[in-house]
Formats: sequence, structure tokens, C-alpha cells
Amino acid sequence: MNIAFIKRIIFTSIGRKTVMALTGLMLGAFMLFHLAENLLLFKGEVAYNNWVDLLLSNPALPLIELGLLAVFLAHIAAGVWVRIEDWLNAPRGYESRKWQGGRTIGSATMLYTAVLILAYLIYHMLTFRFVDHSIGFYQMVTSAFRDRTFVAIYVGGAAALVLHLSHGMQSAFQTLGVNDPKYTPFIKLGSWLVALAMIGFALISVYFLLNMDACPADAIYQVTIQ
Amino acid sequence: MSDKKNGFSVTVRVWRQDGTGEPGRMKAYKVSDVSPDMSFLEMLDLLNEDLIKKGEKPVTVESDCREGICGCCGLVVNGDVHGPDEHSTVCQLHMRRFRDGDVITVEPWRVKSFPVLKDLVVDRSALERIMAAGGYISVNTGAAPDANAAPVNKDDAEEAMDAAACIGCGACVTACPNGAAMLFTGAKISQFALLPQGSPERQRRVLSMLEAMDREGFGNCSNEYECEAVCPKDVKVANIARMNREFLLANFFGKAEPQSAGSRD
Amino acid sequence: MNLDAKIPAGPIEKKWDNHKFNLKLVNPNNRRKYEILVVGSGLAGASAAASLGELGYNVKVFTLHDSPRRAHSIAAQGGINAAKNYPNDGDSVWRLFHDTVKGGDYRAREANVYRLAQISNQIIDHCVALGVPFAREYGGLLSNRSFGGAQLSRTFYARGQTGQQLLLGAYSAMMRQVAAGTVSVMNRREMVDLVLKNGKARGIIARNLITGELESYAGHAVLLCTGGYANVFYLSTNAATCNVSAAWAAYKRGAGFANPCFTQIHPTCIPRSGEHQSKLTLMSESLRNDGRIWVPKAKGDKRPAGQIPEAERDYFLERRYPAFGNLVPRDIASRAAKAMIDEGRGVGPTGLSVYLDFRDSIKRKGADKIKAEYGNLFDMYYQITDENGYATPMRIYPAPHYTMGGLWVDYDLMTTIPGLFALGEANFSDHGANRLGASALMQGLADGFFIAPATVGGYLGSTKFEPASGSDPEFAETAGQVQARINRILSIKGKKTPTELHRQLGNVMWNDCGMARNESTLKKALKKVPEIREEFWSEVTVPGSDKDFNQTLEKAMKVADFLEFAELFLKDALERKESCGGHFREESCTAEGEAKRDDANFSHAAVWAYSGEGKEPALHKEPLAFEHIKMAERSYK
Repeated sequence: MNIAFIKRIIFTSIGRKTVMALTGLMLGAFMLFHLAENLLLFKGEVAYNNWVDLLLSNPALPLIELGLLAVFLAHIAAGVWVRIEDWLNAPRGYESRKWQGGRTIGSATMLYTAVLILAYLIYHMLTFRFVDHSIGFYQMVTSAFRDRTFVAIYVGGAAALVLHLSHGMQSAFQTLGVNDPKYTPFIKLGSWLVALAMIGFALISVYFLLNMDACPADAIYQVTIQ
Repeated sequence: MSDKKNGFSVTVRVWRQDGTGEPGRMKAYKVSDVSPDMSFLEMLDLLNEDLIKKGEKPVTVESDCREGICGCCGLVVNGDVHGPDEHSTVCQLHMRRFRDGDVITVEPWRVKSFPVLKDLVVDRSALERIMAAGGYISVNTGAAPDANAAPVNKDDAEEAMDAAACIGCGACVTACPNGAAMLFTGAKISQFALLPQGSPERQRRVLSMLEAMDREGFGNCSNEYECEAVCPKDVKVANIARMNREFLLANFFGKAEPQSAGSRD
Repeated sequence: MNLDAKIPAGPIEKKWDNHKFNLKLVNPNNRRKYEILVVGSGLAGASAAASLGELGYNVKVFTLHDSPRRAHSIAAQGGINAAKNYPNDGDSVWRLFHDTVKGGDYRAREANVYRLAQISNQIIDHCVALGVPFAREYGGLLSNRSFGGAQLSRTFYARGQTGQQLLLGAYSAMMRQVAAGTVSVMNRREMVDLVLKNGKARGIIARNLITGELESYAGHAVLLCTGGYANVFYLSTNAATCNVSAAWAAYKRGAGFANPCFTQIHPTCIPRSGEHQSKLTLMSESLRNDGRIWVPKAKGDKRPAGQIPEAERDYFLERRYPAFGNLVPRDIASRAAKAMIDEGRGVGPTGLSVYLDFRDSIKRKGADKIKAEYGNLFDMYYQITDENGYATPMRIYPAPHYTMGGLWVDYDLMTTIPGLFALGEANFSDHGANRLGASALMQGLADGFFIAPATVGGYLGSTKFEPASGSDPEFAETAGQVQARINRILSIKGKKTPTELHRQLGNVMWNDCGMARNESTLKKALKKVPEIREEFWSEVTVPGSDKDFNQTLEKAMKVADFLEFAELFLKDALERKESCGGHFREESCTAEGEAKRDDANFSHAAVWAYSGEGKEPALHKEPLAFEHIKMAERSYK
């Protein structure tokens, strides 16, 4: 059995980047899906909880979650590997060194936004995934969104995501070999739109923080943020 | 001489290092009687002539054609790869870019895969080894059909020429935040992939050259395009995308295996 | 000195084929037992190494650069000629042969030139197969353009970077052999001497430019592909490291040096801006296809070009040579420009330039079209001069560019030393007294890809070799002589830098033996050059040690050789009392001031033999017979 082609995906510079790009695109797609889910919050408690019930009733959900986790871990693993190599190869010792015009804030901060997103994700899991869901999902989420500290962290996470995706999305296309004067401007535009869409998460949280759904005070459940 | 009339002075801070692995340091020199019509390298010539006369070791710096095509020269001037002019080699930089009293830092390519040999000269032979791994079309002398036997789409030929314009100076590696040689390697792979003559062995070529590139310890591509921004010949990162594409196609849909390294026939 | 060119018998069309048939072959299994040393990695060197490697010989290639791809062939812009006749404008092998002999002013060897024209077509085939991205038409076939001195389109090109693309093609073919294990590239090594054993070239001494060690390499044949010596003028379009040293070492070991005075001065170079100038930059003469060359009619007219009305402009090439106009061959265009400047009609701050004006073609074709064709040249001109060539005329001045002279070789490209071959610009064979545009690339690749692989094999197959290795006493002795010379240079510790002395030499050569020469200037120069040489050996200073990466020492060694070689150059120029091609003797011209050949007395290659230090070199002559082309006055009127 010839496994050279699998080894090349793991052990070559382009191979690893391919893994990053593919998993990155999947995660980006997931984020869009997740944003769409969250938009249901605007529709109200019933609509949102119905959707969550539908999700939870899917027997394949644990498998999908594991798949998502695998994609995420692969993205991180490839990223860490690439970063270590890049760090080892980074130019050093210059007395003066300027960037030459290719870098963007997004591309220069990929590592930092990645760490922030990971930290946020862990926090997100601890606050929403591994908690008692008995009060209902809508209540749980919207209550959190009415907490200033939580929203600040949440908005911070979304901002990191915007930056990360502003480089990551279009970069993934380049890595997968899609670069053509005809399509690339659209890819760049599309990538920016996806990145900017992540602002949507922040907007939702701010919507509830400012109590724009006009929820009476006694109906708000107090969450304890762990 | 009219030079003196317009002459001005600058201070150059130059990297001095006796040999590979030796410690180095920046050293400042004053250069007077600089003419705005001088090239940057001619200004360094002036400094060196002065040092030689004083019996000091001149600054070792590599340059040859001084018309931007041989790829010998390469310096980081005031933090800019190949100097402040866009898409140009440092030999084409002229002193009219500078003013009296300027302090100019001059440093070598500082890339892990290009060890400093002396002062401002580095060893770029890693790029040679990438070329030897597959940067060619395997055709023996005398075996070629008539030059017009295979028509080549003009647009493809032009694009191949865009990629082939690479002068192998290493600026792309130097500008890369990760010290990657993707633009250099991608350009060569692109040139041949775009031409029908290069197609038969395109799969083996990309796998072999990629393997050699990784073996030399060049970094990964983070798609930041610093390489494209400094390339004296304006070679585009689309060539890196094409290399990636070639790799994926070869890896998943091709039969080729890379040629074994250093195989002796 | 035996100057038998060994031209094969038979009709000229069959000579090369017959000769290839008659050459001894080396059994494929035996080829790997032969070691071939190729010095230089430009078009000739890289292509020879590639072809010889493909045949299975063991090849070592020496380059003083970090990479073989840096050789100065890379800077050739315009193109490469071939007799393909794709444009259907009447070209043929015969016509290319004819044009080259005529262009060379009847001072080249017919049989060699015919072979060059024959092989030209194979070169294009092979280069396309190697992936050279030549310009193409929309139909996908190769595009041609016309080039200085030719009335048809036979020049293949890759934008303004044809030399680069061809060199990269030859280099890639060579790198394939590096991978195959037949070729090894010895980079950053400069040949400093040739080693002879029993009268045969059996190796070289090379200086490792990083460690400074002298290294001995033994082989069965040595191929010098070391380019030309135009840097004897200090300022030329050549790269800084171009030199005569390897050829000069061969000359001093017994190789004949032919026609050293034949130098090509290229008309379209960017004029120099001051004393600091380290090199001159050439702009492709394809510019002359659309640019018109002129000077003001009045002497000392200091008005900006735009203010000089049409009636007061002298388009002197169009006036003097109505048939060819701005497209006359290089030597004629250069001399005409010099004549205008000598009359005091030169332009620019120094008065040492003429205008190359695109105004009319921009009007006719549009600026976009001109930009598309020559944009990179306009950019280059702007970067160097800070002047916009679209808005004001460019200023140009001739500069030394190529040397037709070189080591004498026979039909097999072998010098007078058995086993020592010279290829490309390093030999003298094909361009006579003047080279046509786009023919240098053709010759380098013909010699390397096609001729040397056959003739070197013939030599190896027909020669009995005694064992030789780098540890033989001959190598130690030669290395010792080189070391003594290096020690002497280092011990002087004078006050002048090698570059200063080189500049001094260049001034003498350019002023007294440049575009025009006469007996009195040459005799003057022959007095001055030995003086500079003496100054070198008493006043030069080279800091640092020889066992180090020492660029000043490298430069000093090259200048020392140029200072010896220049004298031979001048002697040859003095000896050749006629004008021919790039060699213009003011005493020998027609009433209109055009060059006048003296076929009765000078229809020969002048071959100089070394007779020892301080002794007069001996002049030998290889008579040139023109059986196929009628000698005529070279007229472009």
C-alpha cells in the first residue's frame, strides 16, 4: 500500500498548509452556519429553542461534534507545526527591518488572533456547552448577553475572528491553488464579507445587552458565569 | 570634477562579519563626495576605495552586471529589501534617493538558509539544489522536434515568461516573514507547467522540487505576499498558487514519485 | 605555431556532416572515464557541460559566481538569430552565412561561419524544447523581429531578456546533469592558471574565492568558456568580474591569441555621468527600430532638445546611410556618433552623447505601443538618468560591448594547445572584425550544445592519455608560480587601488585605441600602458590576506592580467594597418570617411604567440580564403 501521498500531506510544507486551508474553510463555513443559528435569537425564544431541540434530537450529533472537534484540532495542529517552523526560519538580527507592503494587520496577527480565538472558544464551551441547560437554551444565551463582562469578551472574540478570517479565508484559496486575476478579486471580496459577517455575533450580543428586545426585567434569568 | 560640486556626505552603517559563524557587528563609516548620479553600489565602491587606501579591509559585497539581471546583488538598505525603490535590484538604486547627512544602514540577507559568508555576502546555494531537483525539462541535446512543431498559446507563453523572469536573487526569501522560498520555486514550476514542453514531467517536477525546498529548511508560506512586494522582476504570487495546485493534482491524481535526491544515474 | 585550421574537405554544406562522421567516437561505457573541465558557466559553458554530461562524460564546471546562472550571458537583451525563415522573407542558411561573413567585414573563417548558420536552427529547436519562453504570435508559433544590420526578421527573442532566458535554459539542462551525477558545479572558483603535461592541457589551478586556497583539478580536456575582455577599457557594458585572465593564462602557456584588437563598440548605451561610474549600461539596439538618432546641425547648440526645430536637426544615420538608416550595423552607428561628437555637435551636459528620439514613433504608433515594446528599457533609462525618455529624447553614447578577438581555435574549437578548447566569446572564430546583433547568443550555444560535444569526443577518442592527477609535480609547479605572483601583489603595499590603476588603463585604451585608432595614438598608448603596469607592480595596495575571501586581491589579479594583455591588444591594432569592422584605423578610410579594408595585406587572422616575459610576442598569420562569398566593400548606403 502506497501511503506516500498521505505522508506528503502531513510532512511537506505545502501539504500542511493544505490541511490548514481545508480545515480553515470548513471552520469558516461552520461559523457562517453558527451565525445563522444565532440569528434565530431575533426571532424569539420559541423559534430558537425549537431549532436547538431539532439539533439535539439528531442521533448523529455526537459524531458531528467529534468531527468538528477533529477539524478544529487538525487546524490547530497544522497551525502550530507551521508556526514553529516559521518561527525557526524567521529573519533575525536586523538592525532595521521594514515590512514591504504585502502584510496586512490580519496576516501579521494570525498567531495572536488564533490564540485569542482558542481562549475564547474554551470560555465559550465552559459557559454554553458544559453547563446545565435546564433553563432552556434561549434563556441561557440571552441572559449571558445581558451581562456586560460576558458581552465584552464575546465581542472581543468576534473581533479576533474578523481579523483572523480577513486573512485566513482568502489565504486558504491561495493555498489550495485558486488564484486567477479573474476570480481573485471576488474571492478577496467574498472572504472579507465572510470575515465581516462575524461582526454579526457581536451585534446579536449587543442587541440583548442594550435590551433592544424589550424584555421585562423579571423575565431575565441571572446566569453565573463560570 | 563636477561630482565635487554636487557632492554630499552620508554615513553608512554596514554589517561587518569575517566569516560564516563568526560574530558580526554594525560599523559606521562616513562617505563624502557622494554624487546624486552615483548608484548605491558606486557609493559603496567609493567607501571601499577609501578603506583600501587606508590599508583596511574593504566591505565585501557581491554585485556583477549592475544592470539588474544577474541577481548577484542583494542588500537590506534602511530595512528595505533591495532598497527603497519598488521592484528593483539594489544595483539600480541611485544616490539621488538620499540627502546630505543621511544615515544609511546596510545589512546582508539574514535568512537561515543563506548563511553569511563575509560582511554583506551570503551563500544562496540552497536555491541551486532546488533547481537541480527538477527545475528543468528532461530533453537531450539534438532530440528536439522543430521549434514550431508544438504551438504554444501566446497568453500562456507570456505568463511563462513572467515567471521565468526570476533572477534568483533571493529577495523573496529575505522579505518573507518565514524565510520561505515559495516564490522562487513556484516561479520555476509555473514556467514549465504553462508550456506544453514542460507538461510531461510536471508532476514529478513539483514533488521533487518541493521535497528539495523542504530539505533545505526554507519556511512555509503564510500568503502574506511580502515576496511579491519586493520581487525585482515583479513575479506574482499566482505562481505559488499554481505550484500548490500542481502539488495537489500530482499528489492525489498523479502516478509520479519524486526523483530520489542526488541519484547518480 | 601550427595554425592549421583543419577545415574538413568537401563542399561547404557538407563539411560539418562529413567531419562529424570522421571524428572518432568514444564508447558510451568509456565516457565516464574521461574528466572534462569546463571553465565558465555562461551560454557556451553551461550548454557544453549539459551536452557533455548527457553523453556520459564526467564534467566539472567552474564559475567564479555563487551560481552558474549569473554569468554575463544573462545580460544579453535583444535576441538570437537563426535561419529558420519562419517569416518567409527570404532567409536561408546561406543568407545567414553570407550576412555574418559580410557583417564581420570578411575577417572570419568561412567554414566556421557556415557551420554556425547551419546549427542556428537546431539551437532554436532545442531551446524551445528546454522551455525557453520565446515571444510568440497569436497562432502559437514563434515570433521574429529584425535586428541591427539585417534586412529581414530572423531574430528570436524573449522580451528584452533573451540572454537571460537562454542562459536559464542552458543552465537548467546543466542542472539536470548535476542531478544525474555527471556534472559537478564548482562555484566561487576562479581559474588562475592552466596546467600542461607532456604538451597537453591536463588541468587547471583554481582559486577558491572563499578560502583563498589554490586547488588543482586534473582532466583530459579543458574548455575555456570565459567570455570576452571588453573590461580592458575599464568602462564597458560587461559585468564587473568579466576578465581576460583565463584566456591570458592559456596564452602564456602557449595558446595563440587571435585578433585581440577586434572590439565591438555598441552604439546604444547610457552615457556616463561622472568619474565614479563603474560600468556602462546597454540598452537593446532594438530601440533603433523605432528611435531616430540625431544631433543638432549647429555646433555647441545648448538648447533643450524640444526647442530645436526639425530643420535644425541632423538625423545623421538616415542622411549618411539612406538604405539602412538607423539600423546600420553597430560599428558604423558607433563611429558615426563619434564623428558627430568630435565635430562638437554632441549633446547633454558632457557633450558626449547623441539623441535617440521616439517622438515620431510615439506619434505614429501611440505611446502605449512603444511602452509595450520597450517599456522596460525606458524604465531602466529613467532609473539611471532620472530622465523620462517618452517626453524628451534619450541620450546615448557608444560603449565597448563585445570582443570578437580571442583564443585562436581550429575547426574543432581547439586552441594551439592540444586538449585546450575555447568556446563562445572566448574564441575568435565566427564574427570576424564585427559581430552582428543577436549572433553572440547563437555562437555561444552552437559551440556549447552542438560543436564541442562532437569535437571534444573526437579529440578524446583519438588521443592516448598518460595518467594525470592534481598531485602531479606539474600542478604543484604551476600552483607555486601562481602563489608567487599573489605573494608579490600582496607584498607591494603601495598607495593605489587596483580599481584606480584599472581606470587609468581604461582611459588610455578608450582614448587611444577606442572607436578610432591611428599609428600615433597607438604608439603613444604602447608607451603609456607599460608605465601603468610598472606603477601597478610598485604602487598597488591590497589589504588582507590571500587565504581569505578577498575581493581586492581578485580584482588586482585581473587588473595585472589586463595590463599585460592591453599591450598585445595595442600591438595587434598597430600591426593591422587597415580598417575593418570594429577596428577603425584613421589612416585607412575612403574619401567619405568610411572604413577601408586592405584585403591584399590583411586578409588573415593575426595570431600572437607568447615568447616569454619581457619578450616581443611572435605574430603568425592564418590566411583567410573566401571561396563562397565575394569580398566587397561593406556598404550600407
